[in-house]
Amino acid sequence: MPTTSYPKLLVLGIGNLLMGDEGVGVHLAQRLAEQPLPSGIDVLDGGTGGFHLTNYFTSYPCLILIDATLDERPPGTIRLLEPRFSSDFPRSMSTHDIGLRDLLEGLQVMGQMPKVYLFAVSIAELQEMHIGLSPEVEKVMPELEERVKVLAGELVGKGVKV
Amino acid sequence: MSNRIVVDPVTRIEGHLRIEAEIQDGKLVDAYSSGTMVRLIERILQGRDPRDAWAFVGRVCGVCTTVHSLASCRSVEDALGIVIPPNAEIVRNLMYCAQYMHDHVVHFYHLHALDWVDVVNALQADPKATSELAQSISNWPKSSPGYFSDLQKRVKGFVESGQLGIFTNGYWGHPAYKLPPEVNLIGLAHYLEALEWQKEMVKVHAIFGGKNPHPNYLVGGMACSIGLDDVSVINAERLAYIGRLFEEGKRFVEQVYIPDLLAIASFYKDWAAIGGGLGNYLVYGDLPTNGYNDPSSFLIPSGAILNKDISTVYDVDLREDAQVQEFISRSWYEYSEGDKAGLHPWKGETNVKYTGPKPPYEHLNVEEKYSYLKTPRWKGNAMEVGPLARMLVGYARGREDFKEVVDSALAKLDVPVTALFSTLGRTAARGLETQLIANWAMDFYDQLLTNIRNGDTRMADTSKFNPERWEASAQGVGHTEAPRGALAHWCVIKDQKLENYQLVVPTTWNASPRDPEGNPSAYESSLMDNTPIADPEQPLEILRTVHSFDPCLACAVHLYDEDGKQVNRVKVL
Repeated sequence: MPTTSYPKLLVLGIGNLLMGDEGVGVHLAQRLAEQPLPSGIDVLDGGTGGFHLTNYFTSYPCLILIDATLDERPPGTIRLLEPRFSSDFPRSMSTHDIGLRDLLEGLQVMGQMPKVYLFAVSIAELQEMHIGLSPEVEKVMPELEERVKVLAGELVGKGVKV
Repeated sequence: MSNRIVVDPVTRIEGHLRIEAEIQDGKLVDAYSSGTMVRLIERILQGRDPRDAWAFVGRVCGVCTTVHSLASCRSVEDALGIVIPPNAEIVRNLMYCAQYMHDHVVHFYHLHALDWVDVVNALQADPKATSELAQSISNWPKSSPGYFSDLQKRVKGFVESGQLGIFTNGYWGHPAYKLPPEVNLIGLAHYLEALEWQKEMVKVHAIFGGKNPHPNYLVGGMACSIGLDDVSVINAERLAYIGRLFEEGKRFVEQVYIPDLLAIASFYKDWAAIGGGLGNYLVYGDLPTNGYNDPSSFLIPSGAILNKDISTVYDVDLREDAQVQEFISRSWYEYSEGDKAGLHPWKGETNVKYTGPKPPYEHLNVEEKYSYLKTPRWKGNAMEVGPLARMLVGYARGREDFKEVVDSALAKLDVPVTALFSTLGRTAARGLETQLIANWAMDFYDQLLTNIRNGDTRMADTSKFNPERWEASAQGVGHTEAPRGALAHWCVIKDQKLENYQLVVPTTWNASPRDPEGNPSAYESSLMDNTPIADPEQPLEILRTVHSFDPCLACAVHLYDEDGKQVNRVKVL
């Protein structure tokens, strides 16, 4: 249970929609964007935005990131991390991680790093290009959605009823 | 002694990119470039509605999202005979200019500069001397001794904590770093300022494209609408904001990027004789001022240069069967006509047949097929694409604006025009074209305002949006000059669906494997061109040349001894 509450936060799904499970963050952002959420919670499909996302990191005091990770855990494993430095991120994130890591390093040096929560979803391996999720990852989508919504609700001080 | 070096970087377009190279007597003697991840966007697009293709291709790459969408719209418009209204052309050009300025500045400061600037050494700088130096090369206001000493204090904490990759993962202290501490400190300061600056520049995309990242495009024009007094569309206030973004962008390019580039280059003139490579350059052209169908109106002219001979520029025709062809003799694909064939992209085939070693492997078999990239050739020639190609073709075509920025930079560095055929030339060309683009953006902006004031607010031609008005079969080609180089999408439309869709991206031109004749492509050729390696444990020199192409990657460098054993592995941001 987070102890701080924020006036607003951004749920930011990142990943490549064209690469199967690698797009899990984007799939979740697109699902959340179709739902009514409490005021103060914004949702963005960050795609493979990298540096293009800087402005979102500096205009929200708190972000919840959702991204895929290749960490040899069973596909569909969900972990919640609170990274402070880019080195705290899972070592092997997906193909878009380079820009994001550089961006986070820069924010750190500029003293503009917001509070970041990261839901890292384990995926099997980078697959051939296709759109859609594997059964293993699709199966955990309701749990992922619920956990993101609950955390977001707590963080903006709206309790768990989302 | 011969060392095998493996550079295994990652690009966002192609997936993983890997370079295997041999060092002998302190120099690179052989190099092989391989794309190790398959890219089958072509397959995703087959059978889809051509009007939707821009949205899918926009997701291929996170950095160049807009250029793929632009090439796709142009390709489909070309096939269907759609001519977009002048304002749509200008808005596309403005988004293109913003993308360019953003991408080149980010590439320079956040990827490439650290190959030349030793950020840890910046802590040794004297803030007062740094301030004097900064003020002698530019009017940029953030240049006081206090500014630089505050920065040093802040950075010192990060360096000592060891928590940030930028200060722990580089080859800091490498003998190939030649800048005085004061220049390093200026570079570090602007690394941070550029980070702040770039987040403003991309707002142009959010305004014209409705969102960012992955802004909206539209076959037939642009999806935005303009009304000076309408609060819900692009109105006078938003246009004024865009004008300010471009003005500030131009100021940063002129007062920060260019002075830094020239100051840094002046300490690395030896790199004007390293990494030149092919000497063949290809440009498709871009920034139309009288429509996509009038190449003579392009601010970036098209053309080809062979063997560094800038007295002759050849015309380029992307429709002609024998000009652009892709080969697979060294790539993990098969063609119905066999391995020797070269196919024009309209007849392109994308059938994967992997015959490489089973991962994880130590070495590729570079004597056979060794890449997922196909090998494109122009009239059979290996070509380099990118900023250097564009600056050379503009220069060789005698364009005054190109000559002015190039000659001025050459004079300041006191080097001949042949210095351009090098790693240093490639890096300098990127800055110089950013200068041109920043100027052109202001002209496009003024033109847009003039059109709107004259009552022209048309943004799209939708007369052929309905598929019932299309021919039963059609084919088109859409090209652009992406920041990294010439990009084109070829589409074949049959019965209102995409039957074939082929992308030939800049990285494919530059990073592809050898062709059926055994000739290397741009990366391979450049690495084999006079590249010294001071310390095989830290092959900074390889990164300088690979990064000069803007491959958009982080490099994981693996080093092997002569027995093929891995001796070191260094992750480089």
